[in-house]
Amino acid sequence: MSTDGTNYLDALVTKLKSAAAPFRDTLNELHAKYKDVREGAVADYIPELAKADPNAFGISVMSVDGQVVEVGDHQQLFSLQSISKPFVFGLALEDHGREHVLSKVSVEPTGEAFNSIVLDETTNRPFNPLVNAGAIATADLVEGKNFSERISRMLAMFSRYFGRTLYVDNSIFMSERATGHRNRAIGHLMLNFGMIKDRVEETLELYFQQCSLLVNCHDLAVLGATLANGGVNPITGQRAIKAEYVKDVLSIMASCGMYDYAGEWAFRVGLPAKSGVGGGIVAVVPGKFGIGIYSPPLDAKGNSVRGVLACRELSERFGLHVFEAGHDGPSLEDEFRPRRG
Amino acid sequence: MAKIIAVHSFRGGTGKSNITANLASLVALAGHRVGIIDTDIQSPGIHVIFGFNQDNLKYALNDYLWGNCKIEDAAYDVTRAAIPEPNGDRPRLFLIPSSVKTGEIARVLCDGYDVGLLNDGIQSVSRALSLDYLFIDTHPGVNEETLLSIAICDRFMLIMRPDNQDFQGTAVTVELAHRLEVQEILLIVNKVPQGMEAGMLQGQIESTYKAEVVGMLPLNAEMASLASSALFSVRYGDHPITQTLKGIARRIMT
Repeated sequence: MSTDGTNYLDALVTKLKSAAAPFRDTLNELHAKYKDVREGAVADYIPELAKADPNAFGISVMSVDGQVVEVGDHQQLFSLQSISKPFVFGLALEDHGREHVLSKVSVEPTGEAFNSIVLDETTNRPFNPLVNAGAIATADLVEGKNFSERISRMLAMFSRYFGRTLYVDNSIFMSERATGHRNRAIGHLMLNFGMIKDRVEETLELYFQQCSLLVNCHDLAVLGATLANGGVNPITGQRAIKAEYVKDVLSIMASCGMYDYAGEWAFRVGLPAKSGVGGGIVAVVPGKFGIGIYSPPLDAKGNSVRGVLACRELSERFGLHVFEAGHDGPSLEDEFRPRRG
Repeated sequence: MAKIIAVHSFRGGTGKSNITANLASLVALAGHRVGIIDTDIQSPGIHVIFGFNQDNLKYALNDYLWGNCKIEDAAYDVTRAAIPEPNGDRPRLFLIPSSVKTGEIARVLCDGYDVGLLNDGIQSVSRALSLDYLFIDTHPGVNEETLLSIAICDRFMLIMRPDNQDFQGTAVTVELAHRLEVQEILLIVNKVPQGMEAGMLQGQIESTYKAEVVGMLPLNAEMASLASSALFSVRYGDHPITQTLKGIARRIMT
């Protein structure tokens, strides 16, 4: 912070512009429209996830200049789960460069479920960094002279995105680790093919930890806004990822982010996004906004039901689809500015 | 959509609430549905001018901010303070008071509240009551309620006395208003002592703040002795001060 208070003044003005944004009305309306949707089921493969309140529903939207409008349970904490995957992929890219990372993990979408034990038959690479196999392969690429340095480098990376210190939910971590037989099998299969280093348990620990990070919906909006802002956190001004790798992270989210719904998502919503079984979704409007949504009930493909509905409507209403060329309604930028008569 | 008029002064005692109450009544009398919201949660008072008794008050703005009621449940028809026998939809005057209970004021200071909710409330009460104009009476000085009302208003009225402390403070408010992209700042100079050269003062103020002075009101004995017990413009319909206030009301409605 500067000594003349300029930054405080900026922060205050940004806060008040957020409170004054006409978008508050729109978001309240959207929240009210979908809060009573009763489809989907809370993930229950570990008891800690099954404890989530199926009625919880929060939405946060942050602009690249740090204005934020949020509604509902936007402060409720939940585990990051698969939303962590593209960001660890980003760290692997920074550590090794594009070519080396691509020699270990492909970037092809797969129609297979996220936890499938399938590798590319000719190259032995996992299909992409957002299925479990690919995420374990990218976690393996996180550098550090020992395990604790690797963990702290990963946590530091997330802290730069979120602009705060992050904590691992220990009970979620313990049960992910205790029940992660399938992920352990995937790890050993990749070790067998020489795709990851001989430190499978360590890499799996890292992977289970990244999945167990506690965040809220506001954090997801910051995460999305940081990517939308070319890799610089709009609140702290800190760079979270080298600018050259932002497009890699966004394109993998665009093609593979929503599990085996990725194709229809790209068609209907048209935004780079990533969901997690904890009930979170982060979506990015490049150059403009980050969207964070939390609602635990998931559809058959593992995406938050209310999250998908809300993102679809936001995209349609404001023409957010990245290929949109004929939108003639109001823009989301307009809704973030005070409406004066 | 209602036009939002935020009324503010950097320091207390400028006559802000009295001017707000009178302007809102005069705008209503011109045939409009007008609301007044008292966002001065820390030191509410404008209800007194309307002879509004808080003893039997069911809900105040505070209740809305704490989620106890809809904001329109805290709106009261006070048209009779300005017109003895109102009929029809227009004119109508509504007041959304803040609570004068010590405990409720203390609660605001202890717990705070989400200032965004105040914006939601202002928008929904304007819709629910089909208001043409909504006046926001703010707390003196810089705080979140004030800044929010600056950020959402169509017209920003700033009241000051010809006093050096007011001059300095008003500069701060004007700077903040520019940061919040206010389009129009209207200045009112109140309590101008007899003998002070009004024209020169007006020119000085306009060039300092690069804003229009829409009215200069004299320091006045009748206003003081009324002691906020009634609307001055109703009690003294032909008074020169009332004429000036009418001019400002017309300016607001243009």
